[in-house]
This record gives sequence, structure tokens and C-alpha cells, in this order.
Amino acid sequence: MKFLIAVKSQEFSEPTLRVGMQVAKAFKAAVTIAYVGPKISKFSASQVRFTQERMEEWEFDRPGVEVLEWAFAFLADNNYIAPTTIEAGFSKNTLVQTSGNRCEVYLQGTVCKDVNLILRNGDIIAELRDEVQRGKYDVTIIGGSQKRGMAHNLVQYIDSSIFVVKNYNQEQSYSLLLPVNDSPHTPKAVKYGARVAQAFDIKVNLITVSKTESFGESYTQASNRASKLMRRVGIDHERHFKTGDPVEVIKKTVGDNHIVVMGASTKNPLLKFFVGSKPLKVMEDCQCPILIVK
Amino acid sequence: MYNIPAPTGLSVEGYRTLIIVVMAIILIVFEPVPLPAVAMMILILQVLLGIDTSNGVAKSFMSDAVFFIMGSLMLAVAIVSQGLDSRLALGIIKLTGNKTWKIVIGFIAISAFLSSFIGEHTVTAMMMPVGLTLVKNSGVDKRSTSKLAALILFSIAYGSAMGSIGTPSGGGRNVIMLGYMKEFGVGNISYLEWMKYAYPILFFEIPLAAVILWYTFKPRQLILDSAVRKLKIQVTKKGSMRGNELLTIFIFILVFLGWVLFSSKVGLGIIALIGVFLYMAFGLIRWEDLNRNTNWGVVILFGAAVSLGLHMKDTGAAFWVADTAINWMKIISDDVSIIRWFIAVVLTGLLTNLLSNAATVAVIGPIVLNMGGDPLVMGFSTAIASAFAYLTVVASPTCMIIHSSGLVDKSDYLRAGWKMFIMSVLVLFIISNFW
Repeated sequence: MKFLIAVKSQEFSEPTLRVGMQVAKAFKAAVTIAYVGPKISKFSASQVRFTQERMEEWEFDRPGVEVLEWAFAFLADNNYIAPTTIEAGFSKNTLVQTSGNRCEVYLQGTVCKDVNLILRNGDIIAELRDEVQRGKYDVTIIGGSQKRGMAHNLVQYIDSSIFVVKNYNQEQSYSLLLPVNDSPHTPKAVKYGARVAQAFDIKVNLITVSKTESFGESYTQASNRASKLMRRVGIDHERHFKTGDPVEVIKKTVGDNHIVVMGASTKNPLLKFFVGSKPLKVMEDCQCPILIVK
Repeated sequence: MYNIPAPTGLSVEGYRTLIIVVMAIILIVFEPVPLPAVAMMILILQVLLGIDTSNGVAKSFMSDAVFFIMGSLMLAVAIVSQGLDSRLALGIIKLTGNKTWKIVIGFIAISAFLSSFIGEHTVTAMMMPVGLTLVKNSGVDKRSTSKLAALILFSIAYGSAMGSIGTPSGGGRNVIMLGYMKEFGVGNISYLEWMKYAYPILFFEIPLAAVILWYTFKPRQLILDSAVRKLKIQVTKKGSMRGNELLTIFIFILVFLGWVLFSSKVGLGIIALIGVFLYMAFGLIRWEDLNRNTNWGVVILFGAAVSLGLHMKDTGAAFWVADTAINWMKIISDDVSIIRWFIAVVLTGLLTNLLSNAATVAVIGPIVLNMGGDPLVMGFSTAIASAFAYLTVVASPTCMIIHSSGLVDKSDYLRAGWKMFIMSVLVLFIISNFW
């Protein structure tokens, strides 16, 4: 498994990095932590690069290096990277330019596989999409404090699953809300949900919502399968069957003490763009962390 | 568009030229393809659409203006690489002392003065480390220095942008406009004549810009005593001036004298290239460094834009657009002299914030020179207005350079920029009408 965690600054990205690493640890995944700096116009690219070289002579780091330094310190403090790597310390000289607007540092992981730190410049959506395609990541983790449309666009355009760490509070005690139905992405969402629940050691609420009073056989079977998996891996869970509009029911149930894990929509991208989808609506309306599994 | 008949009064070639102009503007603004590809598209379409022969397009592609843009980009690399920024830092501090408002005026004035002779991005590249060293040493965290950082960085960027109007060598667009004026038979303006008209604008703009920036980003730190002291210590460590630095300045003075004395005979571009040659011949810069740090894509694009501008003139497209615009203006008033001037200046100013200033002048230049009135005033005002790149991050390399520091937001450009834009238009109006 490969995880990509997008960070913006020490001030806003601490919860994203904390949650991201905790989940990555549960998945024993290789992790890349990415900082995406401002987009440089092609008109000015060489002048900007040239100025940055001058800045380095005045002992100014390239913008974004301080964020990677902070990420390194976080990884070191929480023993996510090997002691020898921690002893060597973070050196900006170890940033390897892998393409025009991408630099990378390789770190040896401990509980996770390798941990990479990367620095990119450009439009954040385009850069993350490019990084996901390049690294074939399974999950992309982003913060929720970013622009409203950004998480929406990432879910639309990025091939990996997306975990939006919105309003995560370390002091809060969470449960995991896992909507299950007969959609093709549900089985994978259930597996991911189980891992996330293990990572945080929390209870799982399996919720099946039907628009009518009767629950079809496919719905009950999906719930049974999910329950069976939870039992097998020893996760405390409850099953709920509710009637109503799925988005509204999920919104009501979530509150501020749930982490939501749900499958992505199978609608075609054009329809999703104009009409939206259940996961997108839940993500936009709920003020809690949400993992949309693709 | 290709299949729609050409409007009355416009030749088929002229209409096709305008189609290329529209396509090029869209591609430059949205950047879906690399800029050199846009340049190539312009050149290819001019031949394929029957506007000119391939030799004709090739001739119009290379001019003294393109030599100048190429030469000035390389001169910038040669000068900045010598590390003269630390000398500059010492000079600024000696002049301004430690009061923040004086430092801001100093940054604007020195950036403006220097960028009137060398490219504005060269000046920004040299001034930015100086400014950011002051910011770094003046507060404990980013938040406490955010307004000071914006104030200093915008002083550098806007000062450099304003200053680039000071002389013909301040920017490629000035040279492009001079080339058009010559081509259109408007007349020759010498290096010193240009300065005589442009410098008064600068003298008005510098204090006004300082006031605007001060009240837009009023900092907490009114005195930068310890920051100035630390900067002095850092700069003093670099020791006295080395031979290479003196030689760099000496060659640049020669280039400047060449521009003043001989540019009307041999062209600004050739003199810039002589400067580059001397820097390489004396071993002050390696070709590898010049090659790596010069934006060749921009050189190609500006060449293509100039070629397009010349074909706008030759095909009558420039005249048709100018004539149509004047007819529309007559709906508002029969006396279009002031409206014409404002439309030319404001349109140039706005386009320069979306395209690049040189590309704007290359496209707008032939139109304004056909709009009637005194073409000298119209052309000169258009070249000056192309420096009003205050509103967006992409307006000019200077804006992009300070944005890349991560210390100024996109919204800051509009916050300060609209005031700067209006102030600059008014100052230009007063000078061009009463000087």
C-alpha cells in the first residue's frame, strides 16, 4: 500500500499528518509527505529559479523546505523513521531534484515502509494528481481547512481513495461510521474501515440506509458481510438500518464524533460534476474526517 | 472563426492575423501548452494561413527588440551571479537608516532607479535577499512580520516595475515600441529623450507608491534597529569589493554609455549583446550558466509576438481594429482625444496584468499607433502603461518572484495593486498632457 499525505504548513497540517501517519501505520504502508508550493508562471520560471538560487546564498531556504523540516521533526518525535535517519538530521542538501518542479528526500521508515518527503510547485490539484499517477498511491490524505472546492476537486480528479482530515480533534473520542449498501465500492470501503478502526482503536457503526421501508436482500447481505468481517478481526461494532434520504440520514448520524468511511460513487464523472454524488455531498456537509474509498 | 467571412474593410489576411492574435492571447493566459509552443503556432499559422511567406515571417521574427530581450535576460544572469546584492544592501542601509518608512522609500527608489537601466527581475532578484534578511531579523515569527514582509516585498516588486519605464533599456517592451515607432515612421526617440519624458513620471510615482504601500500594509515594526544591525554584520563579513565585482560594474557602465551614445546607430539589442560578450570574454559568467538561467521560451515568444504585430500592420488588421475602436468611441463623444488615450492606456495596463508586458506592447502597439492623435504620445503612453503590472501574480516576473517567497498572498496584489494602478494612470495622464 502507498499513502500520499499533502501538508501545507505546521499551523494547519498537524492533524492531517498525525492522522495520516496513524492510518498508514495500521496499513503498514509506504508514505510520501508532499508540500505543494505556489504555481510559477512559465513566463517567470527561470527568473524565479534564479532568484531562489540567490536566496540560498543568503542562507534562505526554498519555500516549503521549512514545512518538510517540520514534517521530519514530527516523524522523528513519533519514531516513524529509523534512528540512524533521525541522527543524520534533515538536510536540505538531501533534497534530490527529480523533475523540473519536484524535489524528493528518501527516509528510512520504521513502523511504516519507506517515508519520502517531496516538494512540488504548481497548481495543487494538478500536482497531487500527477504525484498520484506517478507513484500509484492507494490513498491521498489532505487537510480539511483548505479551500472548499479543493477536496471536492481532488475526489473528482484523483484516482486514489481520498481521506479528508476535516476538524479532527485529538482529544475527541470518535466512532467510525461505515455506510454499507450494494454499491461496488462497499466491500473495499469495509476493509479500509476495519483498518482505520484498528488504527484508532474505535467502535464501528455499520449503517445501511434505504429510501423505502423495505430493505432489499442485497442491502442486508452487504451489512451481513461487513459485520462478519468486523467480527473476524475483532472490532466492536453495531448495525443500524435506517430509512430516508441516505445523505440526510448520514449527516444526522455523524455529528462531530465520527470518522466516516464510505465507498466512492460509481456515477460517471460528468454526472458527478453536474449533479454531485452521495460521498461528495456528505464530505461537503459533514464537519468530520471522511475517507472516500475508490 | 476561420469560416466566417472577414468583416467589411478588413482584408482576408488581416482577418486571419486577428484570428491568430485571439488564439495566442487565449493560449498565453491559460497556458494549456508551453509558451514556446504558442510562439511556434503563431509563426506556423502566419505561413499556413497565407499571411506571409516563410522567409517573410522569419525576417519579421528577428529584430533588434528580440536581440535586446535576449541580451538583457543574459545580462541579468551575468550581473546577479556576481553577488553584488550585498553591496547593494550596504548602500541602502547607509542611505535610509533604521526607520521602516525610510527603508521602504529607499527600497522603492533604489529598485526603481536600478530597474530603469537593467531588467526589473534582475533588480528584484538582487533586492529580495536584502529585504528578506531585514524581515527575518525583525521578528520572532512569521505572523508578527507578515505585514512587514508584504510591505518590503511589494516595495521591491512595484518599485522595479515602476522603474522599468525610466529608460528604453528598462524593459523589452520599451524597445519593441521604439521599433514600431521607427517602422511606422513616427520618428526616433533617443535614449536621453526617453529619459526626459519618463523620469518625471517616476519622480511622482515613487513617493506616492510609498504612501500607498505604507497604508495598505502598515507594519507593527516602525524601527528596524536590530534587523539593520544584523544585516550590516552579515554584509560586512563578505569583505571588501573584489576585482570581479568591479569589472562587472565597469562593463555595465560601458553598456549603459553604449546605449546612451550609440543606440540610435547600432540598436539597443546589439549593445546588450556586446555586454554579454564582454562578460563571457572576461570569464565573469560561463555559457552553461547563461544557458541554464535564460528563459529561451520567452525570447522565442516575444519574437513571435513582434512578428505578429508587424503583420497586423502590414495586413491592415491594426488599422481596422483602431478604426473600429475609434468609431465606437465616437458613440460616447465626437471628441475622442481623451477617451482614446484612456482606452489605450487602461487596456494596455489591464492586458499587461494577464499577458506579459512585452507581448502586450507587441500586440497593442500597432493598434494604438493607428488610433490617431499624436502617435508619439500614444505609443509612449502605451509603453509606459505596460509597466502597470500590479494587479496579479502573473503580471510580471517581479510579481511572481515575490510570490514564490511564500510570504505574500494572491489577494495582496489586488489590495495594493488597484490603488497603484489608478495612481499610475493619473500620473501618466498629467505628465503626457502637461510635460
